[in-house]
Amino acid sequence: MVDEHDKLLPIANVGRIMKQILPPTAKISKEAKVRMQECASEFISFVTGEASDKCHKQNRKTLNGDDICWALASLGFDNYSNAIANYSNKLRDFEREKASASSSVACAAPASQIHEEHVDEAAAGSSNSLIRFHLK
Amino acid sequence: MRQAGAYSGILSGGGISGRTGPHLLPLARIKKIMKKSSVDVKMISGEAPLVFSKACELFIEELTKRSWNMTIQGKRRTLHKEDVASAVATTDVFDFLIDLVHPNASGDVELDEEHVEQKQ
Repeated sequence: MVDEHDKLLPIANVGRIMKQILPPTAKISKEAKVRMQECASEFISFVTGEASDKCHKQNRKTLNGDDICWALASLGFDNYSNAIANYSNKLRDFEREKASASSSVACAAPASQIHEEHVDEAAAGSSNSLIRFHLK
Repeated sequence: MRQAGAYSGILSGGGISGRTGPHLLPLARIKKIMKKSSVDVKMISGEAPLVFSKACELFIEELTKRSWNMTIQGKRRTLHKEDVASAVATTDVFDFLIDLVHPNASGDVELDEEHVEQKQ
């Protein structure tokens, strides 16, 4: 049996993002949050579909950040695409640094390959799948 | 060490939205939704859900702001799902959401049809 909630982002998280962008006195109905959850999932599916098509046409098996960036621009979300491009580059630089730092210790995977295992490790246990980061 | 924690330096520095704070969306859930979207989606790089989490945040922010404009126009202080529907109907890039927010296509039939015709 498929749990319906698996298809949607958590309502608390969605609600928090909505609240942060609105004036402090604004109120949001529960139905509006649910509708936003649904729209966000549809957005992910829509963009992923486009990105996946591109991968498929190029005979690649792994969908990466660049594909998402391209798909966003292709579907008219140019402003998101530009913002994401910077973000994706930073992630790659970080991975490259990490790989070269650990290469002296053991055989490291090439920096250009960001493996799916990383996500699985991070996602192990649904309760721990939220990323938290702190100011240094 | 949790892999997720390793990304903290990037996420906090030079954030896209200029804000800092905990990452807002769970990666495992994003990955599940991505995989469900198409049978062609088999392998997803580690960065993809992270990238999507930022994209979703931007999307939710934009749709919320536009919906709130509708709320204000209606001289209200509570954002309702109808405001979301209106924001979708009046924003071209959100055309893919029209069926989702107007399943019965009742009051705004003419506007929706006009949008669909323009798109085609």
